[in-house]
Amino acid sequence: MIGRYAGLLALRGVIRLLGRLLRAAVLVLLLIAALPVTLAAAYAATLAWFLGWPPRQLYRAAAWCLPMLAAWLAALAAAGQPWPRVAGAPYFAWLAMWHEVQAGRYLLAAVTIAPAAIPLGLLAGGLAWAWRIYSLETGSGGLTPSAPAAFDRRQWRHQVRTARGRIAAPGAVPLLLPNGSIVAGATIRAVRHPARALAVIPYPRVRSHQVVIGTTGTGKTTLLLRLWAGFIRRGLQLHAAGAGSRPLLVVVDCKGGADSRRIADRARRVLREAGAAATAIWPDEATLSLWALPPHQLTSTLVDMIEHGTGSAAYYQDVLAEVVRLAVAAPGGPPASAADFLGRLDAGWLAAAYAGVPGEAGLLPAAARHVSDVALRFRTLLRRLGGGLDGPGGFGDADAWYCILEGTAEIAVAEAQARALVDLLAWYATGGSAARREILLAVDEFSAVSRRLPIWQLYERARSLGLAVQVSAQSWQGLAADEDERYRVASTADGGIWLLRTPYPEPVAALAGSRRVVDTTRRLLGVPLWAHEGLSRAGGTPVVDAEIIRALAVGQAAYIYRGGVTYVQVKRLVAGPAELARPVRLAGAPAVRVGGGGAGAVALDATGIPGVRPRTDPLPDVSPVLDEAFGAEDR
Amino acid sequence: MSERDITGLLFAAEMYGVQLDQLAARLGISETGARAIVARWRQQGYAESARLGPGRAWVWLTRAGLAACGLPYQPVAPALSRLAHLRAVTAVRLALESTASYAPAGAYWRSERRLRARAARRVPAREHLPDGEVHWPDAGPQPGSVGWAGECWAIEAELTRKTIRRTAAIMTEILTRTGDYGCPAVEVRVPGRPPRHTRVLYVCSAAARPVALRARGTLGGSLASRVEVRRLPPGAGLAGLAGSAPGTASSPAGAAGS
Repeated sequence: MIGRYAGLLALRGVIRLLGRLLRAAVLVLLLIAALPVTLAAAYAATLAWFLGWPPRQLYRAAAWCLPMLAAWLAALAAAGQPWPRVAGAPYFAWLAMWHEVQAGRYLLAAVTIAPAAIPLGLLAGGLAWAWRIYSLETGSGGLTPSAPAAFDRRQWRHQVRTARGRIAAPGAVPLLLPNGSIVAGATIRAVRHPARALAVIPYPRVRSHQVVIGTTGTGKTTLLLRLWAGFIRRGLQLHAAGAGSRPLLVVVDCKGGADSRRIADRARRVLREAGAAATAIWPDEATLSLWALPPHQLTSTLVDMIEHGTGSAAYYQDVLAEVVRLAVAAPGGPPASAADFLGRLDAGWLAAAYAGVPGEAGLLPAAARHVSDVALRFRTLLRRLGGGLDGPGGFGDADAWYCILEGTAEIAVAEAQARALVDLLAWYATGGSAARREILLAVDEFSAVSRRLPIWQLYERARSLGLAVQVSAQSWQGLAADEDERYRVASTADGGIWLLRTPYPEPVAALAGSRRVVDTTRRLLGVPLWAHEGLSRAGGTPVVDAEIIRALAVGQAAYIYRGGVTYVQVKRLVAGPAELARPVRLAGAPAVRVGGGGAGAVALDATGIPGVRPRTDPLPDVSPVLDEAFGAEDR
Repeated sequence: MSERDITGLLFAAEMYGVQLDQLAARLGISETGARAIVARWRQQGYAESARLGPGRAWVWLTRAGLAACGLPYQPVAPALSRLAHLRAVTAVRLALESTASYAPAGAYWRSERRLRARAARRVPAREHLPDGEVHWPDAGPQPGSVGWAGECWAIEAELTRKTIRRTAAIMTEILTRTGDYGCPAVEVRVPGRPPRHTRVLYVCSAAARPVALRARGTLGGSLASRVEVRRLPPGAGLAGLAGSAPGTASSPAGAAGS
């Protein structure tokens, strides 16, 4: 009985082996019969593996080969071939190829079959590559248990290499696409985002709130500069076409120090290339006037700039607020400068100013006792603030403002400056000036100075004013003061979140959610053999791999948006001659070309004049006066 | 202080500094007469003069002279690296002012120094400033009016060769500007507004002329038609140097010429 059972097992084994051999033989025969397709497919799959391409890239290549196929068939039809012959052309070409091979004319054989074999090979290669990825992602492929992880690591290296090669190629990564989208760099890998070669951010997303997190030296500034330059250039394009207001970029750098100044200089050069006519560096080279605020807003801002205590100090706060209101709202208009304001903080001046004003004059005796104290506090504050807020100047004077706050060295001063800058910008955005602007407010490490203006308040306020806010921080903890604020800021970033290398990416990674994947367990028969039995089940895995974020190299970033992530190799913008953008045509607008090197970074229409119709009448001839002055020209 | 003194002081102030022969030409007197006038200015503390380079002595205004003229400029001697360029610009101005239609049309020169002073009031914009502007005021139908009345020309004196791309970029920037120098950034180029400069006049040395012509060729038709290219007038080069004849060659000192 045992012998018969053993014989049965042996017979079953032999039959299985024969079956497998037969299947392998049929497969090999098929591959040989379709040798051109096999070669093209093998080449395509190998190339995709080596370059880390997604299968879609091969499908696209196959689609691009279809015109060649169509042209080939059309040429056959035009040569007088009957339709059945044209329809069966790939088959006849295949037969002809083998005849040529038999005759030893290999090159002619390759040319004969190429129009049909290349697209088919690319398609087959794409399918094979997709199957390979699928089998390893689901754990059903690979020789060893660690094969899926090793495959993923290797593919990441290949994808990074390809992306680096792409950004190194001159002209391969423009700042803007013809449709106006901003190109951040080359795509390394995309999860639940379209797998494009270039990482593209539509302009409206830059006009929404964004969050950028990355430690020092990870390429955060490079990324931000690129986004800012894209915002300015696209904004100017739209403005020149009459489709939008002129862009205004306000960067509030709350770190201060020499590093901030280096970045400011770099920003100025890059933005200049992008078309910004002027970049103001505050307070080093340009000033703003706090005194331009309307009286009620000026009062509120001045009061908030002074640090108050709590409890009984609230009484003094009220007194201070009232004294400031009296000084600002005095008959004759608000103060025009710090000196003017300090001059008003005097009991005698206030008494003279309000003489004969019923109601207000009655308050003066009570306030007079505190006026000198209030004056002392403001004298100290305004002296420490320096002249940066004492004018002249306003946000309308430049296309970009780089405001440096000494948040590391002098926190109290930086907090007061931050408060004043935000109030000035809010006033400007709400129509404080005649010209309406598309404003992007970028704040770096704002949490360092956000004691008097919590960042979520800045965020909400900016949203209500129609400003786009871009918050950047070195870590999740640096985003805001407490966890609630951090989540509030991050979860309302409807323009997306940028993650660079950071040691604690989990909270942001969790915001991207998870995706369903198939996980397969297989029975191991002994290294390295797998049994053909196993179990697959669907489960969830995070969309953003925290381990990848922790290991990102300099210049790499993850862009998280709507439950997907694109890993990007950011293209560095250098302040050299930039390539000219291709002309873009907006609906109902003439052709627009924006950008270019140096002084020519301007928005033009067909005439070269922004928004001006071509002049139909010729200019008067000035040759007589020029000939008289400089001599006649050879014509 | 005679009217001639005032004219001469303002002329020297606006041009950063002038050489005696050009001052004499502007005032319509001999060089000896100009030297006497300058000696008087020096005595009054309004001007300084010195032989800074080849050719005649240079004259520039002191702080007191600028204050007397009511001009908010920094009192500095002409930089050695700019002497050739300053002389060329002054020569262009003199050539234009000597034309028959200039004075009757009420035309006037707005110097780079004035433009720079206006622009400096605002945020540093790193914008290109022309070497001067010539304004032809609207005159209406009256004697002396010219066909191009109402136009503003940007003037560029070119001694040295730039790249074609850079030259074309400068031409484009000048021709597409809508705002005055020193205006807020938002007004520099405003859609719908007419351009500030109806045309730009490039007055070039022989070395720079081909570049200007080729740069003009790279512009679109409507822009190119607004660029005039001419040769520097006689006497525009620094006297005593090879190539001081109009537009024959660039001089070493002209390396900083725009």
